[in-house]
Amino acid sequence: MARWRRRVRGAAALPEAVAALSRALPAAPSPETFRRAKFDRPEAAAALWSLLARVLSALPAPAVPASLGPEARWVKAALRAQGYQRRALWELPEDGSRGSRELLLALSWLLARGPLLEQLLAQTRVQLGDRMPAFQCELPARPGPAAPSVAPEGPLDVRLVQWLMGTLRLRWQGLMCSQQEHAALLSKIHMFTRGCHGDCSLHHLSVVETEALRDPESGRQLLQALESENARLEAAMHWRGSQLVYWQWLDTILDICPAGAPTPASPPACLPRIPKRGVDEWELLERDLQGLQEELREAAEPRRAAWEARVDGQGQGPQWSRSRQAVREAVSQALASLQQSWEEGGIPAQPLGPHRLVRSEDGMLSSQGLRATEVISLLRSQEACLEALLCQLQEQCRRELARLAGTLPGLVWIPAPGR
Amino acid sequence: MSVVTLQLGQCGNQIGFEVFDTLFSDSHCSQIFCSKKENEAYLASCMERFFREEESGVPVARAVLVDMEPKVINQTLSKAAQSGRWKYGQHACFCQKQGSGNNWAYGYSVHGPRHQESIMNLIQKEVEKCDSLSGFFIIMSMAGGTGSGLGTFITQNLQDQFSNSLRMNQIIWPYGTGEVIVQNYNSILTLSHLYRSSDALLVHENDAIHKICAKLMNIKQISFRDINQVVAHQLGSVFQPTYSAEGSSHYRRNPLGDLMENLVPHPEFKMLGVRNIPQMSENSLAYSAFTWAGLLKHLRQMLISNAKMEEGINWKVRPPSSRLPALDKPFVSQELHFNTSIANLLILRGKEVHSADLGGFKEPALYTSWLKPANAFHVWKTQRGFRKYEKSAALVSNSQFLVKPLDRIVGRAWNMFASKAYLHQYTKFGVQEEDFLDSFTLLEQVIASYRSL
Repeated sequence: MARWRRRVRGAAALPEAVAALSRALPAAPSPETFRRAKFDRPEAAAALWSLLARVLSALPAPAVPASLGPEARWVKAALRAQGYQRRALWELPEDGSRGSRELLLALSWLLARGPLLEQLLAQTRVQLGDRMPAFQCELPARPGPAAPSVAPEGPLDVRLVQWLMGTLRLRWQGLMCSQQEHAALLSKIHMFTRGCHGDCSLHHLSVVETEALRDPESGRQLLQALESENARLEAAMHWRGSQLVYWQWLDTILDICPAGAPTPASPPACLPRIPKRGVDEWELLERDLQGLQEELREAAEPRRAAWEARVDGQGQGPQWSRSRQAVREAVSQALASLQQSWEEGGIPAQPLGPHRLVRSEDGMLSSQGLRATEVISLLRSQEACLEALLCQLQEQCRRELARLAGTLPGLVWIPAPGR
Repeated sequence: MSVVTLQLGQCGNQIGFEVFDTLFSDSHCSQIFCSKKENEAYLASCMERFFREEESGVPVARAVLVDMEPKVINQTLSKAAQSGRWKYGQHACFCQKQGSGNNWAYGYSVHGPRHQESIMNLIQKEVEKCDSLSGFFIIMSMAGGTGSGLGTFITQNLQDQFSNSLRMNQIIWPYGTGEVIVQNYNSILTLSHLYRSSDALLVHENDAIHKICAKLMNIKQISFRDINQVVAHQLGSVFQPTYSAEGSSHYRRNPLGDLMENLVPHPEFKMLGVRNIPQMSENSLAYSAFTWAGLLKHLRQMLISNAKMEEGINWKVRPPSSRLPALDKPFVSQELHFNTSIANLLILRGKEVHSADLGGFKEPALYTSWLKPANAFHVWKTQRGFRKYEKSAALVSNSQFLVKPLDRIVGRAWNMFASKAYLHQYTKFGVQEEDFLDSFTLLEQVIASYRSL
């Protein structure tokens, strides 16, 4: 009796788990889709193709270009980029008419591999606060020669290039202007709503909150968004608790799959195309590295020899060893800071997640979160690094141009006057 | 985003007043040809850009007035205050009792440094009252002493102090038969210096505006006030709000920046001209009806035949049938009297604005060979009518239209310079012969660049 009751409970747990999963996923596919997929029914295929497309486009790198044609082809390429290797998936037709069982397996693979639901939920998170604008940009690993760009079709008029550069500069100026305006207006809102927030650690309202209070319609919409997000979060929690029975069910699906080697015997239909340019760049980089090593060796050896010669003349003794120790420490510190500035651009890893902008009175500093002054000084040091890099690159460009001009006989090179 | 206007000299101050008056009266116009809600957004956008609120409730123009004589500034201030609808800021003006004697060098080398701090302080104060500054609009004439010399000096200072903000100079091109003997010297010195420190030079020619007043507006005794009002009408039709994108209902936040990005990103080509259609006295307006097709056809022909108004257009001028790269065919476009454009910005205001057919302006033959119409032609729209015109169009273009007038002025100035006429009046205030030579060189370069389009 007890065993029968347990089996019934077990049988009821699966639909609940699947229902929780489908509520937690974006675009909520119906639980029926999952059941149909087990039996590889064609009706479930379309829904699963779009669900996979939706899920894959929300994942972080590696990116697959969007212009790859039908959705099914894109999904295959994206799965391949994520590392999925089941051959049966490549063989599915690209019109999206079949393959629901394979798609279900692919989806479950993504689910099992990483925090998929958490990633998806973080993407569609309802923002209540004002966010700090993202300023991060990646420093190039090494200032090398500019990558050769795509050759233009036909002769290029330098006036067009100047025109486009000017457009870029003006657009950049306009962007800075809008950022300033945005900051000024945000500051006004924060000042005017001081003391209005229920939560004392947030001293004022954000734009979203102010708008919700001002306009009942947007308040309603905000409430709806929050409620639906809550529902998805609850579903995700429920799923977490009950997912074991889902994986057991998937085992049964794998059992009924036709026997096929999971690893591809033949390469899949769409391989990422390694452009020939990439190979050239690689060789260029290698040559650069070798050249740099040579340079370093040539520069370092005479200096080392000279230093050793000087040192040999010095006496030994405790004072000497102490000063040597101090020098060693200073050098290792300088090396460490240099390395850090190369690797991270001087910015320590910022805590994950969005930061809410909060304006507080002096003296009322909360313990958690970043202070604006810290962020500003970090950004300034990054700016200094980038400026130095820019100067270096410009100098390289100038030298390269002068060299090229030298190879053309009869060409008079007049560099533009600096501003 | 806000624009701070600088009114310099007699000309600058008189025109500036008319501009603000036009902007204000258009924003509060009753005949709007659009919905009330739309009109409110239009009004708010215009107010935020050119005016600011004060406790008294009367909008204050975002402007700084500068002149070396007190008469015109006082007149301007009182005219604005009298209307009761808007006014200038109480401490927004700077004047002296001295005058510049129509001498560019005096304005640039004497007045400039002497009063630099006071004037820049005034500007700084006005800028601080903006939430965000899009740029400066500097109204000045070329021929006199204060507007031209001091205006150039101030523009250079703005470049140093507000390097991230844009600078557009509205320049009044003097009559060909002007009264000031040294107006050509003043003009070339102004233009060459401004070419280095300004982002865009928007030029209005007195001769052209005079003709518009005579032929189109049927004014018998044309006063400077009439001329200024036509200029203000043209400027208003450019700077009043327009939608930020095709199909959007939000108004553009940064028209100055967008205009510059569309028309003057190239450092060698900064001369802009405005054409407007239709332009008539208000009495005739009630009896006229227009179609977009008709308006645009005339405007296009005005552009390519370099006509300044819709009467007396030369319809024989046609775009060249093949456009070879410029190096292969120098000066031919000059012979055809065809006005080649680099870039054009068309601004349409009024009813059914989305139905206007713009194909005529997108032909590659209108433009120089190195810039395709996709990059060269831009259009701004709004359904809100401008100053009771049911349909109106303005065209701001960067084209060859000023080559001949510029060549004429440079030629005359050179003749005077070669015979050293009146030079001592400039050299005694610090403007040497080398400065003149530099100016000639730069302007010849500009003329050559425009000719080789």
